[in-house]
Amino acid sequence: MLFNSFEFAIFLPVVFILYWFIFKRNFRSQNVLVLIASYFFYGLWDWRFLFLIIASTIVDYFVGIAIDKHSEDKKKQKLWLWTSVVFNISLLGFFKYYNFFVNSFMDMTELFGYTIKSSWTLNIILPVGISFYTFQTMSYSLDIYYKRIKPTKDFLSFATFVAFFPQLVAGPIERASNLLSQITSERKFNYQQTKEGLRLILWGLFKKIVIADSLAPIVDDIFSNYGDYSGSTLILGVTMFSFQVYGDFSGYSDIAIGTSKLFGFELMSNFKFPNFSRNVAEYWQRWHVSLSTWFRHYVYIPLGGSRVSKLLSVRNICVIFLISGFWHGANWTFIFWGAFHAVAYIPVFLMGRNTIYKNSVVAENTWIPNLVEFGQLILTFALVTFSRIFFRSDTLTDSFAFIERIFTNFELKPYEHPLGDNMMTYYILILVFVLYEYLIRRDERNPFKFKHRIVRVAIYTAIVISMFVFYDDDAQRAFIYFQF
Amino acid sequence: MIKLFKVLVIYAIYGLIVGEIIVRAFTLTSDIPQRTITEDHIQKYKPNQTGGWSKGDHKWQVNDRGWVGPLPQSFDNLITIVGDSFIENLMNPDECHQSHFLSQNFPKQNFLEAARSGVTFIESLEITKHLDSLNPKYHLICLNDYNIKESISNIERQPDITQFNTEEGQMIYGRMKAPFAKKILYNWKFVYYLYNRFPLSFNKKETDTTPKISNYDIPYLKINGKEFKALLDYASTNYSIDDKILVLKPTATKGLAELLKSYGYKVLLLDDHGEDWTFGYDAHWNCYGHEEASKQITKFLRTLNL
Repeated sequence: MLFNSFEFAIFLPVVFILYWFIFKRNFRSQNVLVLIASYFFYGLWDWRFLFLIIASTIVDYFVGIAIDKHSEDKKKQKLWLWTSVVFNISLLGFFKYYNFFVNSFMDMTELFGYTIKSSWTLNIILPVGISFYTFQTMSYSLDIYYKRIKPTKDFLSFATFVAFFPQLVAGPIERASNLLSQITSERKFNYQQTKEGLRLILWGLFKKIVIADSLAPIVDDIFSNYGDYSGSTLILGVTMFSFQVYGDFSGYSDIAIGTSKLFGFELMSNFKFPNFSRNVAEYWQRWHVSLSTWFRHYVYIPLGGSRVSKLLSVRNICVIFLISGFWHGANWTFIFWGAFHAVAYIPVFLMGRNTIYKNSVVAENTWIPNLVEFGQLILTFALVTFSRIFFRSDTLTDSFAFIERIFTNFELKPYEHPLGDNMMTYYILILVFVLYEYLIRRDERNPFKFKHRIVRVAIYTAIVISMFVFYDDDAQRAFIYFQF
Repeated sequence: MIKLFKVLVIYAIYGLIVGEIIVRAFTLTSDIPQRTITEDHIQKYKPNQTGGWSKGDHKWQVNDRGWVGPLPQSFDNLITIVGDSFIENLMNPDECHQSHFLSQNFPKQNFLEAARSGVTFIESLEITKHLDSLNPKYHLICLNDYNIKESISNIERQPDITQFNTEEGQMIYGRMKAPFAKKILYNWKFVYYLYNRFPLSFNKKETDTTPKISNYDIPYLKINGKEFKALLDYASTNYSIDDKILVLKPTATKGLAELLKSYGYKVLLLDDHGEDWTFGYDAHWNCYGHEEASKQITKFLRTLNL
């Protein structure tokens, strides 16, 4: 079930009403409803893969208890932790990476003159959201191992934590310390929280329908036919993709966070206006925060983080970016994308500038950024956008051919919309979107933070109208991050 | 919670008002004429209605007799043109209607269009009966395999259109479906806009009376040959054949043309010569398509010494 579908527009109010009116007796009964709703939500896509979620839930539930039980025996604790890690990574490995490894192995053997028949590859369907919920369940076992949390004995609550429908298929990847503790406590209806939730849902739908989906035909056309276009059009294509993927994924996260608020839950922020980052390090503090902090907490810090020698720290940075790239998909393009970010990040780290923007936003105390900041924004955006050529291309060969064409066939040529629309509409749309996000850049949880109600209502009206205008009746598009 | 519902209701009312204003101001929905049913079970439109088409600047008008388009100057030397939405032709201005083109080519004849969206072959025959009081020379009936298939209730029952049950040999007249709801829907433009823009899966089939191009690819004659023949047997004994000219749309099959000829009908199978006569966004003919069709009809009528 997609957030931008009619089914969800029915499903959400029904669950909301049941949750606050019928199952309001206590949090346990509410959890039963949320769990059933979550399995239904997922099962509508493909009920067979529910068993994977249930299996992952059962394994980590018992692993969590076992790790805690053997708190005096580090060896046994480690053994149990590895049980969880191996199980979850095996799920991922089989469903997401099996064919990649087989194909890569076959390519490698070909280099040495051997040919292996391609019958080794399997026709495997990638279960939606597998990368998200396996990481979430693993984080539970890891947190117990690192003594950050105590395991829960309440299986129902734990199953709800793993399958919580707003963030089940594309995050934010929650930590048990945040979400599970809310699931195991009473929730009270809060008007303010619900209002915030509805606003976030509206804003998320806008980003998905108006920004991401309306740019999709342009991006698809340019990336599919890059050999026919000039360099300027290719730059336009990848820039549009930058906005598309941001609108798509941050839109999803906003709807997920907003939906959770309707049920009294607060999820972590996943996007903090990454387009206004002043260097790559700041970008990673603002883009897909739940994943980057996951890697930071469970990979980077256990490897020594930045508390080891510079050389080892650089190694650690390379490791997390490569894994992060690989997490996105079983394709060398994603690994290159991760490597590109590692290369862009390392100089910032070596100059000691990786945390300087941690607690500030661009133009902190002024209306407009100064010239230096403006230059930093443009440079960071350009770097990140350039890296997305790898992210979007089907193969590495395509990525390099795309880049080569930008430099060897650069010619300023107007681009015509594949469906015959006026491109100026889309340029204005992006400009308005960027300016609006700049206005609200201080608080990602409140996209309509304006004092006067009339201003807010005018913005709601404009947003809803734009959704009607841009909604493509024939192409209800899934969220890009579902494939990861 | 009460406060939440209050706010939601206020926003819903606000949304409906703003939506209604926008839909009306920008003519985002087409006006749909209201129907009525005559004593002889003919579904036609309430006379003298007028309205607009969302994808055109023209206005359509329902004449005194309850059909879309202008009436001829007299009913002498009359030829009627009967059919479904292709002949009703709400989407084109009057100068792109068959009656207009044919009147120019046959100044001595008068042409009356009597068409309505969703009309089946059997209902076309009923309409011709209804119009016989005007003593027309000929009835031109525009159809294809799909219109014949839709005539047969035992292939697929559609309560709102007139059909024939070939198993029981029984005529089943169409009923007005939810007239009150339709009246509200057609006047409450924003809701009608939403209804058209986001059709629910369970009502999609019912709202969409426009035959889709893919429907034409289905070999109905081959699949339902027995039913087709039973219908034509009934038609040949209950309706006159000599005064009927069956104009088959380019999407009709040659097999159907041959079958109809074998029953004694005068048959013209239109040929678009691979050109696109349609609007593209739906299967109906644009003005060019109508003009081309009229040229072929003219040529055929000339062979009848008109």
